[in-house]
Amino acid sequence: MQEKKAQLIAIVGAAGVVDDPQVDESFLLDHEARLSMEPHFLVRPGNVEEVQEIVQWANQTLTPLVPVSSGGPHLRGDSLPTAPESVLVDLSGMKQILKIDRRNRLALIQPGVTYSQLQPELQKEGLRVVTPLLPRANKSVIASLLEREPVMSPKYQWNLLEPLRSLEIVWGNGDKLYSGSGVFRGEKEEDWQKGMVPLLGSGPGQLDFYKFVSAARGSMGIVTWASVKCEVYSESRKLFFVPAEKLDDLIDFTYQLLKFRFGDELFILNNTGLAYVLGGTAEEIESLKNVLPAWTVIVGITGGQILAREKISAQENDIQDTARQFELKLMSEIRDCHSAELLEILLKPSREPYWKLRYKGGAQEIFFLTTLDRTPGYVDTMFTAASRHQYPAEDIGIYLQPVHQGTGCHCEFILPFRRANGHESGRLQDLFSNAALSLFRQGAYFSRPYGTWADMVYNADAGTLMAMQKVKDIFDPNHVMNPGKLCF
Amino acid sequence: MTLPKHVYQAFEDVVGAVNISDDPAVLDSYRYSLAHTAIHLGPFYNTYTPRGAAVLLPGSAKEVQAIVKLCNKYRIKFKASSTFWSAQGYPSEEDTIQLDMRRMDRILELDEKNMFAVVEPGVIGATLQAEAMKVGLNTHIPGSGCSCSVLASATSYFGSGPSNLYGGCYYDNLLGLEWVMPTGEILRTGSVNSTGSWFCGEGPGPSMKGVARGFLGAKGSMGVFTKCAIKLFAWPGPKTLPVEGVIPAYKVSLPETFRAYTLAFPSWKAWADAAHLIWDTGIGYLAHRQFNMFGRDLKFAMVKILTDPTKTLGDLEEVLADPEVQRITKQSERDFQIILVGMTARDIAWQDAALDEILNRTDGWKVEAMNVPEIHDWVLLYLIRLGHKNLNLVFSGGYDGAFGLLGAMDYGAAHAEEAAQFKKTWEKRGAIVDAGGDCMMGPIGGQGGGGTGLWENFTCFDPHDRESVEGTLEFFDACTKLGLEKGWGVGMEKWNSVARGSDGRTTPKAERDRMHLSAPQPSVFRYQHKIREAFNPNDLGDAYYETLEDE
Amino acid sequence: MALKDFAAEMDRCSVCSYCKWIPFDQMKSWRFAKNCPSVAYYNFNSYSARGRYAVARSLLNEQSEYSDTVRNIVHTCMTCGACDVSCKVCRYNLEPLEMVRELKFSLVEAEQVLDQHEALIASLNQEHNILHKPKSERGAWADGLDVARLPSEKAEILFHAGCRLSYDEDLQKTAVSAVQLLKSMGVDVGILGEKEMCCGGRVYSMGYRDEFNHFADLNMKVWANAGVKTVVTACADCYHAFKRLYPPLGSQVEVLHMVEFIERLIQQGKLRFRSEVPMTVTYHDPCHLGRQGEPYVPWNGVEKKIKGQIIVYEPNKPRYNGAWGVYDPPRNILRSIPGVKLVEMERIREYSWCCGAGGGVREAYPEFSAWTAAERIAEAKATGAEALVSACPWCERNFMDSISATGAGLQVYDVLALVEKAL
Ligand code: SF4
Ligand code: SF4
Repeated sequence: MQEKKAQLIAIVGAAGVVDDPQVDESFLLDHEARLSMEPHFLVRPGNVEEVQEIVQWANQTLTPLVPVSSGGPHLRGDSLPTAPESVLVDLSGMKQILKIDRRNRLALIQPGVTYSQLQPELQKEGLRVVTPLLPRANKSVIASLLEREPVMSPKYQWNLLEPLRSLEIVWGNGDKLYSGSGVFRGEKEEDWQKGMVPLLGSGPGQLDFYKFVSAARGSMGIVTWASVKCEVYSESRKLFFVPAEKLDDLIDFTYQLLKFRFGDELFILNNTGLAYVLGGTAEEIESLKNVLPAWTVIVGITGGQILAREKISAQENDIQDTARQFELKLMSEIRDCHSAELLEILLKPSREPYWKLRYKGGAQEIFFLTTLDRTPGYVDTMFTAASRHQYPAEDIGIYLQPVHQGTGCHCEFILPFRRANGHESGRLQDLFSNAALSLFRQGAYFSRPYGTWADMVYNADAGTLMAMQKVKDIFDPNHVMNPGKLCF
Repeated sequence: MTLPKHVYQAFEDVVGAVNISDDPAVLDSYRYSLAHTAIHLGPFYNTYTPRGAAVLLPGSAKEVQAIVKLCNKYRIKFKASSTFWSAQGYPSEEDTIQLDMRRMDRILELDEKNMFAVVEPGVIGATLQAEAMKVGLNTHIPGSGCSCSVLASATSYFGSGPSNLYGGCYYDNLLGLEWVMPTGEILRTGSVNSTGSWFCGEGPGPSMKGVARGFLGAKGSMGVFTKCAIKLFAWPGPKTLPVEGVIPAYKVSLPETFRAYTLAFPSWKAWADAAHLIWDTGIGYLAHRQFNMFGRDLKFAMVKILTDPTKTLGDLEEVLADPEVQRITKQSERDFQIILVGMTARDIAWQDAALDEILNRTDGWKVEAMNVPEIHDWVLLYLIRLGHKNLNLVFSGGYDGAFGLLGAMDYGAAHAEEAAQFKKTWEKRGAIVDAGGDCMMGPIGGQGGGGTGLWENFTCFDPHDRESVEGTLEFFDACTKLGLEKGWGVGMEKWNSVARGSDGRTTPKAERDRMHLSAPQPSVFRYQHKIREAFNPNDLGDAYYETLEDE
Repeated sequence: MALKDFAAEMDRCSVCSYCKWIPFDQMKSWRFAKNCPSVAYYNFNSYSARGRYAVARSLLNEQSEYSDTVRNIVHTCMTCGACDVSCKVCRYNLEPLEMVRELKFSLVEAEQVLDQHEALIASLNQEHNILHKPKSERGAWADGLDVARLPSEKAEILFHAGCRLSYDEDLQKTAVSAVQLLKSMGVDVGILGEKEMCCGGRVYSMGYRDEFNHFADLNMKVWANAGVKTVVTACADCYHAFKRLYPPLGSQVEVLHMVEFIERLIQQGKLRFRSEVPMTVTYHDPCHLGRQGEPYVPWNGVEKKIKGQIIVYEPNKPRYNGAWGVYDPPRNILRSIPGVKLVEMERIREYSWCCGAGGGVREAYPEFSAWTAAERIAEAKATGAEALVSACPWCERNFMDSISATGAGLQVYDVLALVEKAL
């Protein structure tokens, strides 16, 4: 132990090594409540060289490493050590915004950079980054993008990894590689001027390196910076509600907007989901749940660089026409909730406590990818499972987020529970596993197979499993990176 | 080599006697002449890719799998191609089994709502587009045109084109794929395995699609792709294109919501500014610097000829002599084409107004001569269908792109003029077509829509004329030298030299290693080597998959 | 010309494969997107124009030898010219159709021939027709018709029936109607009857250039003797031979297809249709009337280069790309018949799909020929038409055979048959 500690101190300095780190509250929100292993140390590298040295050291000593970039709470257990004698690699200290390039709409950031840190800086340059729905204020932008967390604006998602572009990766073997066009990392200002910039995500060459670290939960390597594609910031924004009592009634309307790429933010929430977003306290949520429409499409329109108002007005009218065509209404207010208020909320990270935890202090989430037309079927399945497990259906927050310009849809069920209540927790765990299995059998695509989902998914996909193992053996031959999380 | 009888028989048992041939004449129709077209090496006079050992026409993924397993059993290299357009689709090693994928040409699924199609290798851009339009959708078509296989461009090569800007390039649009790996095992990526539906290509977990293609694909040297899903996008036009006009001056008159413009600018800076503003504003459906491929001096005259069925190439000099043609040629020096498509009447009105404002801010203008109905409607059809790729070869049957500046708009714009002037001095020597130096063409857009571009300086020559071919080679060598001096790197004229040499065969290993070691990140090729060892242990592909062994 | 004269084209063909598809701009569906029957059926590259360029180069450079496969590659070409049209959407310096024909000539010269073709040549030489029928019976179709018999009698216009219309009992009526119609319009028309000979067009498309030249010569002589200035025919093959292939050999007679003649009569107000023909029809453009039916333009020039390497010709070379074929006359006739509703197939005019009877394929590769016809019938049926109308007896015969073999349930008419019904 002491020897290892000394070795780590030699790499990051004494201040960078924490003994017996408390796996604090936030880590215990692991959604499968799997028993974690106490990590031995937590190290805080300050730069890529230190990261490389830590990984090389881990290979020499065969020590498991668990990279963490975001602050808690960690709902999904990806940062929870599950192997003995692990070392947490805390990247939250690497939080420099290395560059914001307005012309090429790129931000070059380190893994510790959070949405709340990045967004105001981008705004100064006339840019913004599309975000997931209410990320935690301390959520690492890179971690979120690597997790393929869906963003609220599907129209900007040209592929499922957007807006992630080039990366600097330290692989599990300690080797450093620039993916995409990261080799042009604009170390000199003149390179930025000349356009020698890290703006491609793919490649380089014939492998798509950044795909190996995406949704890998730190099991392939550690990303030490990333370039992120930004959108133009515009003061002119409008948000609308399109409510309906039945989800089915919103599907074709949403498809139409997706097809025409009308709307910037575009997603669907059920009354409970919207209440979780809007309500500041459990009481507020409770009363909102009861008054909000059963289902609401939330659609935002953003002006652009030129003729912003004209654009907004044209789109507002077009969306209005589309809504009418489907016998729906485009509204700025529903049941005392003004869309401007919601817009305010959506433009920032989640207030504290984290929105999914506000109602009962704890929450489980089941999420997967599917297509929008299939979501009503999954909602039925989820409700059936809830009733079977005596979980109150009215507590299930549902968030449907079209992704990749509408080819797919992220479907998320938020299941709040009181962690202190052992009985409730236990019931919820049963619901969680059974519902996930039913949904999976029904064709839900668990594209980010956290925890127990991994077995379920990979057992059904031997081809991918085999390919992944080959890739893992190349980039992390000693399996030191976050073992036990996926299929290795 | 002819295959030993029993081996031939084993292959024949898989595909049937009518779908296999080793007749020398048949095999010679599956060789590529290195004297012409975009091969990104050479050109080399009277040089061909090696003759295959046999050509097979598989009819299903199962047959492909069986063929690949036999190749492993008998240690025979294999290479599949769908349309056999590019040199990359041809073997660079002797005695390779060639797979012609054209029989697998079904569109397996066209999901109107979720906007994607599932296709086999033989589906080309034009057939997919024609079917997609029937349900209000469109497909990206790469710069190589609608005659090329959708799957091949999407899985195995670059896949960039005019609709990058709105439709997304193939890199972005490729969803799941089915891959008969070099060992004969089948890998399907993404959602299809656990859901039966192809809507997502990534994952589960880390995306193994990353093994199949990166920025560039494996160019047929790592197994065979047998299916893929492609994201489509909105087509707010008629179900079939109402084409009119006398061949070859076909044209299409589309609703008011479709506009084709040729924009021109006083400087490259203004040109790039406009491209950025278009991107930032979020307008445009297709954008390409297209007709400049004929050359800065010839482009308008060529447009005049192509839009007039009574004219031929032989009228070029006469057309060029017309002062009006000269005026427009001058006016459109630094130009590009853009097509605006409104999803609604309001949408087009807004886009049109925004475009005018962009021109206002950049001092740009619309080339009005390109807006007369017979040209406008021809441009519209040209760019939407992209069915005139063979015009790349119109002059004499040989062309390749030089430089291939790829990246941020400013990167290309900063060097375009220099590259153009450099070519101009070479044009005077006579080996290549004298077109005005600037024959730069390429998309305004790339990964993620706008923001990047590609400048490929078209160089046309006569593949039947040794002096022309050799003069072109000299020019390309000079381009590479210039690119290295200027820090632009090796231009696209030599991109494939690392895989194939002047004899049409694999570049010697020492030479390949030298090139890979001088790359900015040699480790990329080392990882590719490891991937090759893991996924293609018997090394049954060719050097188009670029590898470097550990020291 | 000889095959080696195409060596430059073999190098300048860009292997783009446009020659395997209808012009992309015209593509309306996946199903009917192909244009070249031979590569659509046999699939190997070598069965397309690009592949035939490659095979020709391989033979020319002695990299391969004649074989059964090579013979099949060459003789399965319909010489339909679809490749030529598609190639020339972009290219001005390639002549794929001429090349595939030249390849056939070279094989025939090298005696790389097919038995079925040889038999047909024997019939031609002996009986002056390619249907193995006695020449004495050639004029039998006109027995009882009051029509002048050249050269003993005189007439202003010669109606040339051609082999198929002369002998095919199902189709002879087309020739009869043609003559009757002409006569009823007051046209001074005559026939050669048993003195009529094969035009040679079909053996030309099989690669028998010498035989073609011989018969062209004979025909021109007969015409000269009979003082023929205008020839009218209802056969697209004959039309093409007379219109395009004879002039370079010295013919100066005016050549008209019946559809052109009838259209002219309608335009002049001389012909009016009185009877309703309630029928939805679709029209098949015969290759030799449509894309290959462009008028001959004399040219004797050489290749030259401008702008360094642009290949053009001195003087400017006429361009045959299907732009000016005979497409509208048959359609205008059909549209002017009361009750007829003309619906178009996807592949029409210059990018029409071949009937499958061309290039000696009907005779030597019956299965492939029937498949090609069936493809067209499927396309015709997809329009909802009850009848497939054409203006060439060879196309009609091939369609009729395919329909009777497959029971496809579609009627086949010559334009003339509908005209007759409408009178
Ligand atoms: S013959 Fe014409 S269309 Fe066919 S491959 Fe050659 S150039 Fe292309
Ligand atoms: S003439 Fe017809 S059959 Fe022959 S190659 Fe051309 S398209 Fe094919």
